[in-house]
Amino acid sequence: MISAKNVLFMSMISAKTVLLVSLGYFALLFLVALYAEKCRKTGTCLLKNSHVYSLSLAVYCTSWTFYGSVGKAATSGLEFLPIYLGPTLIAFAWWFLLRKMVLISKQQNITSIADFLSSRYDRSTVLGAIVTLFAVFGITPYIALQLKAIAQTLGILSMPLTSPSTGLYDYTSKLPGSIDIAFFVALLLALFGMLFGARNLDASEKHEGLVVAVAFESLVKLVAFLAVGIFVTYGLFDGFIDIFQQFYEQFPERRDLLLLGTEQTPYTKWFTLIILSMMAVMFLPRQFHIMITENTDEKHIKSAMWKFPAYLFLINLFVLPIALGGLIINGGDTTQADYFVLTLPLSSGHPWLALLVFIGGLSASAGMVMVSSVTIATMVLNHLVMPIILKMNIQAQNISGLLINIKRLGILGVIFIGYFYFKLIGSSYALVNMGLISFAAVTQFAPAVIGGLFWKRANRKAAISGISLGFILWFYTLLIPSFVRSGWLSSDILQNGLYGINLLKPLELFGLRGFDIYTHSLFWSMLFNLAAYLTLSFFAKQTEAEEIQAEKFVDIFVEQAPQQSKLKRISKAPTVMEFVELMSKFIGEKPAQAAITEYLSNQEIDARGNLSDHEIPNLKSFTERTLAGHVGAAPARIILENYLEARGSEMEDVFDIFGTVTISHASSREQLSVLYDAAQIVSSEEDFQKTLDNILELLAQQFKFDLCVIRFLEPESMTLMVKSLVGSSSEHFGQFERNLNMDTYIGQAFLSNSTTVVNDADFIEKTLSAKHVKRDGITCLAHTPIVFEGEPVGILSAFSKTTKGIFTNEFIALFENLAGQVGIAWRNDQQLQKLLRGREQEREMQIARDIQKTLLPSNLPNLDNIAVAGLCVSAHQVGGDYYDFIERDNSSYDLIIADVSGHSIGSALIMAETRTFIHARMESIKQPAEMLSALNGYFLKDLDRSDLFVTMFYLQYNPVNHRLIYGNAGHNTPLLWKNRERKIVTLDTEGMIFGIKSDITFEQKATDLEPGDILLLYTDGIIEAENKDKVFFGIERLGKLLEESDDLTPQELIDRIMTQGRIFTGMRHFNDDITLVVMKVLK
Amino acid sequence: MTERSSSMKESQGSSIREAWLLCLVLGLIMINFPFIHIFNTEQFIFGVPKLVLYFFIGWPLSIVVIWFFVRYMGNGSQNTSTILEDKSDP
Repeated sequence: MISAKNVLFMSMISAKTVLLVSLGYFALLFLVALYAEKCRKTGTCLLKNSHVYSLSLAVYCTSWTFYGSVGKAATSGLEFLPIYLGPTLIAFAWWFLLRKMVLISKQQNITSIADFLSSRYDRSTVLGAIVTLFAVFGITPYIALQLKAIAQTLGILSMPLTSPSTGLYDYTSKLPGSIDIAFFVALLLALFGMLFGARNLDASEKHEGLVVAVAFESLVKLVAFLAVGIFVTYGLFDGFIDIFQQFYEQFPERRDLLLLGTEQTPYTKWFTLIILSMMAVMFLPRQFHIMITENTDEKHIKSAMWKFPAYLFLINLFVLPIALGGLIINGGDTTQADYFVLTLPLSSGHPWLALLVFIGGLSASAGMVMVSSVTIATMVLNHLVMPIILKMNIQAQNISGLLINIKRLGILGVIFIGYFYFKLIGSSYALVNMGLISFAAVTQFAPAVIGGLFWKRANRKAAISGISLGFILWFYTLLIPSFVRSGWLSSDILQNGLYGINLLKPLELFGLRGFDIYTHSLFWSMLFNLAAYLTLSFFAKQTEAEEIQAEKFVDIFVEQAPQQSKLKRISKAPTVMEFVELMSKFIGEKPAQAAITEYLSNQEIDARGNLSDHEIPNLKSFTERTLAGHVGAAPARIILENYLEARGSEMEDVFDIFGTVTISHASSREQLSVLYDAAQIVSSEEDFQKTLDNILELLAQQFKFDLCVIRFLEPESMTLMVKSLVGSSSEHFGQFERNLNMDTYIGQAFLSNSTTVVNDADFIEKTLSAKHVKRDGITCLAHTPIVFEGEPVGILSAFSKTTKGIFTNEFIALFENLAGQVGIAWRNDQQLQKLLRGREQEREMQIARDIQKTLLPSNLPNLDNIAVAGLCVSAHQVGGDYYDFIERDNSSYDLIIADVSGHSIGSALIMAETRTFIHARMESIKQPAEMLSALNGYFLKDLDRSDLFVTMFYLQYNPVNHRLIYGNAGHNTPLLWKNRERKIVTLDTEGMIFGIKSDITFEQKATDLEPGDILLLYTDGIIEAENKDKVFFGIERLGKLLEESDDLTPQELIDRIMTQGRIFTGMRHFNDDITLVVMKVLK
Repeated sequence: MTERSSSMKESQGSSIREAWLLCLVLGLIMINFPFIHIFNTEQFIFGVPKLVLYFFIGWPLSIVVIWFFVRYMGNGSQNTSTILEDKSDP
């Protein structure tokens, strides 16, 4: 065991060594930070490591932890513990609290706690400024505390407590005036902060160097503390139990240190400290920065949830043993209790361990100072300086350079304010207790932050009032008493209250007595804070923008409806390039270009390279978010508002086309009902003109258009002719036909077969159109093609003279749909016309067919000596086949079969002509050959003019002498069944089809028939009937049928031929006209 | 994702949230008056004051609980309540 005497002979380290080691450690930190930055550039971001995230969170443990915990434990016992139990507890809530904050911050490019609050509450400049001021008040003294710790420990290490004349002061005494070693430390820390915390303006970007250095420092301070803990517990003593036993033996009167509910640490204070630390670990600006702004991956939260509490546990494990051990070794003297961790190794002759502890403490202080200065500088720049700069309305092209330098200056400023605090009031009560006072300060943010995360109604006024009231109460109940204790204020106010009003005593406000200062302060500040916050949230109204922002925060896990921004449009909207210029001014050209490139790569861009009218509000939001990442949410909003205002642009509500609010379900119902009405109109039996008029009427009425026009293409003149028009006619838009070219919007719509929209006639691109639009006072217009089978056939147009921006994407879809309905009406009309034309024609053909039928012998005579049957089947309505059977005076019969090529009306006319000719000349022309010659002469001039030709076989049979004479004009040769010889002969003579040559002689032959002989006349329709293998029915088959059917009557024979013909072709109908004539000699 | 599965996911998410909230409340109770009053005596257990022992055993245990919980969340689909019953924060 070490006797108290030994304490006096503490070993010492030369100041030179301490300075060199410190400088070396700083150099190492710079190297670590540089390495991290280099890693980032090569793509292996160290921040992607969850250990780094968890360790960097331990920036929570400052020198206040490192040295102060032991001091606290030695003087107040377990009171040090709640500061670390609280964060462990709140880690349970990280999964839904921290994760939500991280997600929101990422989405909104949030840079700090002030930015978070300002952003949530309507991007309020005032709120941001209040929070920043609060933070500056609360945190800067805390920085002073860290600098003080560094300066003091440097002193202790290099100079025995007993001889203040040697050591470090040898060096510093040479420096002028107030400048001491802490000044250089402050300078180094500021340099570090400026280099790694303000590399560029984008505060929402990650600071690898800074964070990795902080994580490294966390590791160092843990190792140092564990080392000294183990050394004290197992080196100086014999383990935990030994320390507790010795302590109880030597200081039985101090056993209260290990109990709670004592005068020193009442349960209420214990509870208060837990709440304060729970809030502090979430809302201290440096914690917010490391936890939220620097978070690269949501998953890191999961592992930090247990790693960070585990870190806190480890760093506290040896606090009690060191504190109690220090008390035992120092004989119960607590004057240097804050530095037991340093003095115990020194006094026991382990200066190198003390040096390690010093480095650990240096780490704890440096980490806090670096991160805090960067975050506070960012807050000051964004929430105090930016609003002023924006008011000044600097016209420079690019002020991003200026801004980043202001930020660097801010870091330097924050650290040196801390330094001067330390120099001025270094040993005051106010400074020593600054840790808890700053905890109490940030606890005032808790209602606004947590309420803002989960409660949509929480609003700007509520947050401003709550935080302001909390701030005032905090100041009055915590800062005023500590000022009094530091001797800066007379204790009169504590004794008698403000203006001597007893109820206003800062420590017994409104007569509340019996609580420690922290509990008392927390109670009153939270009461006023919460009361104002809740009351105003209930009663104050939110603006629309505020509601949207609130939703973005509260519903971050809910899929956002993509429709929202589409309901706004910007009049006189800036172009994409103008947005880039605006961003460049504040964030520099390169980052602006990079940001816009990334943004546009995800957007649909129209043919002209422009964003559609309804994308512009999205671009505006994007610009605002990007700016927010650099200058904070509130300034970003102001920048954009000022900019748009200067242009005369403004966000305006889109004319609500569907008469309902913004809910898409409701609007689609309206949409459906309009389309349904249109469909009803189209399907009604009204004529086409009426249908078009009705559709336009519907369109004009439903959407309050001033003019609606339907034009259809006139194919011959290639112009668009007005077919229907509803609304106030204008000289230009309603009346004239339009030529098809790209100079007009209507031409463009037709030629590109796509909808063209002009939502704001002030920004019209086509000069030709602009003239007319201006003159007629049109504010917006749209043309959409009426399409049939993919081809435009017309244009549906709508014009408004009162509103702009009617044509939202949603409405355009409806508009195109209506055009589709018009297209259907057009198609219906076209089909109807065709059908009518067809019907007309069919009726005429029917008449022709009926006439033609009467031209054929309707009933063949029943004769004694011959039987005759004939059949003419036309493939179409009318045909060119002809047969006839004419009885002459001399009781002979003429049999004629003819075939006019084609099946048209022309063929039928020629056929009729042929018949008329024959019947007329019957009397004068007696012989077949003569008749053929006469016909040839007759047709020569007629047929020449048409493409038709005629073949004919002409027979004359005299039943008296059984003589058959015949002539052929190029027709198929008839078959004659010679019954007696039982064979078929073909009848043929020289001849030629009609109408080719004038001077041809038709040969006439004769043969005698006998009873039982059968004559079969036919046209090529039957022999050229094809089956599916493209084989003709042919003369052979026909002859064979005739051969086999000698016992049939002529009619039966014809029926059989037709049946076989159908069986052969496999079809009901023949492709060509078929004519068959059969004559059987009976006797 | 079907509506059904997303709502299932949602309910799973909210049950996880409720479980965390429950742990938070339990923790708050266990390190505050009157619960800690049970351990606030001058008794020694294994040579260590009872209250100190309570905190320095309960604390790591609660960290272990979080660790288990986080691991469970990562792996997925067990029922949350079984974890809660196993939980034995002192």
